[in-house]
Amino acid sequence: MMFTEYAWLIPIIPLVAFLVIGFFGHRTPEGGGYIAVGAAGLAFVLSALVAYEVLTGRVTAPYVDQVLWLQISQGITLDFGLYLDNLAVLMMVFASLISTLIFIYSIGYMHDEGEKKRRYYTKVSLFLTAMLGLVMASNFLQMFIFWEIVGLCSYLLIGFWGFKHPKGEKASAAAASAAKKAFLVTRMGDVALLAGLFVLLNEFGTLNYAELFSAATLAAADSSAVALGSVLIFGGVIGKSAQFPLHDWLPDAMEGPTTVSALIHAATMVKAGVYLTARSFPLFVQSADVMLFVAIIGGVTAFYAATMALNNMNIKRVLAYSTLSQLGFMILALGAGGYVVATGVAGGVDVSGAKAFGYTAGVFHMMNHAFFKALLFLGAGSVIHAVGSEDMRQMGGLRKRMGITSITMLIGTLSIAGIPVFAGFWSKDFVLESVLVVAESSEPAAMIFLLLYLLALATAFMTAFYMFRLWFMTFCGEEGEASKHCHGESPPVMSYPLIALSVFAALSGFAILFGFNTTMTFQYVAGEFVVGGGGYAMLDVLEKIFTSPYAYLAIVIALLGIYAAYRMYYVRDLDPGRFNRDGQSALYQLLQRRYYFPQFYDGIALKMAYPAAMAVEEVDRKAVDGSVDGIANSLTGGSQMLRRIQTGFLQTYAAFVVGGVVVLIALIYIIGWITGGA
Amino acid sequence: MTDMILSLVLFTPLVGAVLALAMAGDLAKYARYVALAFTALPLAVTLYLVTAFDASSGYQFVDQYAWIETSFLSIQYIVGLDGLSLIMVLLTNVLMFLVVLFSWEEKERPNFFFALLLGMQVGLLGVFMAMDYFLFFIFWEVALVPMYFLINIWGGPKRHYAAIKFFIYTHVSSLVMMIGIFALVIESAAVAGTGQLSFAFADVSAAAALFTQGFQVLVFGMLFFGFAVKMPIVPFHTWLPDAHVEAPTAGSVLLAGVMLKMGTYGIIRICLEVLPEGAVAWQVPMIVIALVAIVYGALACIAQRDLKKLVAFSSISHMGMVLLGIATLSDIGIAAGAFQMFAHGLITAVLFMVCGIAGHNVGTRQIPLLGGLAEKMPNYAAFMMIGFMASLGLPSLVGFVAEFNILVAFYNWGLSEGVVWTIIIALASLLLTAGYYLWAMQRSIFGPLTDKIDTSKVHDVSVYEGVSLAALCGLIALFGIFPALAWDFIFPYASDLAAVLEVFL
Repeated sequence: MMFTEYAWLIPIIPLVAFLVIGFFGHRTPEGGGYIAVGAAGLAFVLSALVAYEVLTGRVTAPYVDQVLWLQISQGITLDFGLYLDNLAVLMMVFASLISTLIFIYSIGYMHDEGEKKRRYYTKVSLFLTAMLGLVMASNFLQMFIFWEIVGLCSYLLIGFWGFKHPKGEKASAAAASAAKKAFLVTRMGDVALLAGLFVLLNEFGTLNYAELFSAATLAAADSSAVALGSVLIFGGVIGKSAQFPLHDWLPDAMEGPTTVSALIHAATMVKAGVYLTARSFPLFVQSADVMLFVAIIGGVTAFYAATMALNNMNIKRVLAYSTLSQLGFMILALGAGGYVVATGVAGGVDVSGAKAFGYTAGVFHMMNHAFFKALLFLGAGSVIHAVGSEDMRQMGGLRKRMGITSITMLIGTLSIAGIPVFAGFWSKDFVLESVLVVAESSEPAAMIFLLLYLLALATAFMTAFYMFRLWFMTFCGEEGEASKHCHGESPPVMSYPLIALSVFAALSGFAILFGFNTTMTFQYVAGEFVVGGGGYAMLDVLEKIFTSPYAYLAIVIALLGIYAAYRMYYVRDLDPGRFNRDGQSALYQLLQRRYYFPQFYDGIALKMAYPAAMAVEEVDRKAVDGSVDGIANSLTGGSQMLRRIQTGFLQTYAAFVVGGVVVLIALIYIIGWITGGA
Repeated sequence: MTDMILSLVLFTPLVGAVLALAMAGDLAKYARYVALAFTALPLAVTLYLVTAFDASSGYQFVDQYAWIETSFLSIQYIVGLDGLSLIMVLLTNVLMFLVVLFSWEEKERPNFFFALLLGMQVGLLGVFMAMDYFLFFIFWEVALVPMYFLINIWGGPKRHYAAIKFFIYTHVSSLVMMIGIFALVIESAAVAGTGQLSFAFADVSAAAALFTQGFQVLVFGMLFFGFAVKMPIVPFHTWLPDAHVEAPTAGSVLLAGVMLKMGTYGIIRICLEVLPEGAVAWQVPMIVIALVAIVYGALACIAQRDLKKLVAFSSISHMGMVLLGIATLSDIGIAAGAFQMFAHGLITAVLFMVCGIAGHNVGTRQIPLLGGLAEKMPNYAAFMMIGFMASLGLPSLVGFVAEFNILVAFYNWGLSEGVVWTIIIALASLLLTAGYYLWAMQRSIFGPLTDKIDTSKVHDVSVYEGVSLAALCGLIALFGIFPALAWDFIFPYASDLAAVLEVFL
């Protein structure tokens, strides 16, 4: 028996939990929390078994199994099914694993939410279903369906406190507004993605991965249509993975519970865009320009978002900007790797996994980030839970009161900062190297990639700085106002998941030596696209990293960032106010105000859509409807006539009907007489 | 072939209507049981018909009697179902049954109220079943009359104005439509040379191949106008928001859920089927009209303060989607347009029920006065959200399937005509739609609980309301996840029709 044949059960398990908790959750302990944990855990076990079979070649990848969903035209069908390759199983495993850990943590974190707990576990179970469905889907339409459902769950969970917020009315309003914003901004991207599906469906007559990803099919297609489709699909990525310029919803999404931020807005859902980019590689690499565009968006977002984390005082917002920035890293790596493949495809040259390891780097960083960012968010949640504040100025000195939280978070911080041998070090180094490969090449866009490399280096510096700033401000120095309320370390149900995640955050980087290096690759060999195979051997990876001066450069840069944070926020002999005129400098304000992007969105809504709507309403009421009433009035000598028709309407109506029927019959006979006589 | 079963479905509600009407005085409060029984029976039979229907062939369950048969005139009673009419009959009977349930606690003249609902059902079913133009026209009129009374008697403060407006618009358009129908019948008699005016669909269709192009274009225009006012299209739409705002909930549900579809049904059934050359000539105007309705309706929604008026304008936008699909004259487009009729029927029923509940459980439908209702009315908030999400095209719910395929068809059309940029207009409307629904939810069910109205007496949905809403939401999800359940009835029909139209494209 092969577990893969039962892989379709994996999303069904949390779906059942969703229904059970939805209807009966309030009758079970913790509002169905244990059911959610059990379902997620079961999904993880089954995912791991399937992943084992796929990755070890017991099942030929991709494993495709689909049924007809809808026949929409002659020969054009929309299908529903599974497409399991190395990428899909990786996503399944870490999505279900992290979900399990976060659901366990939630039992502690959401303990005091009372009747709202059932709603919470219903929604997160639905989310897990949709997330698994998204990564297992066999075609773009099915992916899109789940893509929208995870978006819905995100909306619902950001707005979880959209009414009856424990902190009162203002917080309720903020949560409701943030939820709406998240939905609308990501929908802009989704609409582009939808248009991309139209382009593909028109060009290929199918949306199935198995058919679309054949190099022969793609080579025979209209290349401009494929490029257009790719760019539009990437539009969806920009929305979902919060890339510039559709990034601004993510910081606001922090209004949701911290567990939701960890699960949806750091570890899993926002990765869907990265996943989709990797998934669509065969399409995207048809055009080097598309891949260059992808890389630029990623690089710009990485840098841009990191700047906003530098001076933010809210612990969750800093992590949110950091997520944006790290997502930019992943997209950048995929763009760089894809660019190499694209030029290979254009020149008819084979590109093996080793040359195109931007793909590996992007996917690798996606996995590592899922672990360390989930850890950091849950750690932040543990702090917030204990001190009742999100403002880091009110924290400080928590190291003594919250031992486990502070140490696990330090591991996460070291990991994201890129300190050897923590997970983030390996994948961030790979990301930088993958960009550098293109920058050093003779490709026409080499200069652009050099710039992107420099942006990425600067980002690495900022990342180390702001993350250690966060850690020092929270855990070191004197106790802040809120710290004094701290009632000690969080309960084991919360701290154990932190410990588990910190193990992953520390060690998951070694995966690149033991399998990841040869399974999560994308090759273009002998005219075909292949996921898995090729790549670097373990020793080559080690050699590549530890003999490259650039790897040491990145380490030094990170250490410099940490040193700066150490001076400013630990030793405090360097006053950050010196650099920003105590928060009065224009640059400081620009960052605080998020480059005025919120105003920009509001401007679109309030200065364009709303006035247009009011104008339509005005036209409708005055011109269209007004003219109707006007004509009626002038024809009938004012409203007198209308009123007369209304009073005694039954009689009038009867007259209408009788008159109508008489006319009708008369007409019939007259016509009959004419035609009959003819 | 004579098969009484369809006539049974058609006239059961009529018997119910007469019975309910007769239950005056003390008996009036039991009229609802009659209504429930006499809507349940046609629904049950319809479900049987769905299982017995063979999607691969045309009209089925045909019941036929000669009515007026002279040397120069032939009017018959013929009813039958094909794929298109089947899903419309199914929609009508489902909604009727649930509306009766929803209105279970109607206190004002319940016997008359339920009699009108049942009477309307006869008219609506007749329109979708008729296979004779005369019959079609009669049922068309029969359906409209009860609506007038529903608005005029059970309506809001401006009900008289709204009712008369509804009546006048409807009748002017009916008149134009009637002239168009006569033109069809006379011309077909003329070209066939039989000398007998036959109103049967089959006879007109048989002669239709000989219609000149000029005739087709002219008559298409007349019929299209007649049907389009019913849909409605901009600028002949202003009767709709007024009628909805004033109508009682049951009336609104049926008006938007089924009655608007009479218009698009007529466009497919008569305009496209009989006048293919006219359809081709009118294609671009139809697409322009559809796009205007879609965007105009969506923009108007943003400006609305009355929840019900918002939903009414959203109907204009979504019916525009139906027309957009139909106007592509392709198999995907026609099937998706018809599917959208079905989908919109289910979804808009939820929306109007939700508006109605706001009216009587909260006391106001004015969005600025609402806020934070999810706290007091969690079930209500859930239904509203499902309805809104379905309406804005959330995948896995029925509206998405319709919208997706309509836009696929429209994209294909745009590409083949070299105006692919027009898809941007349609896509922008998706954003506007999401915008007004989410904004409305933010202001009505989320945020702090309103202090502008007295919320102490606010209560959640009642059992009857809840059951009918839950059933509708279940159907919305069912057909969203398994759209083939309805789509496979429509598609063979659409495919055949598109094949005919393609000759002239």
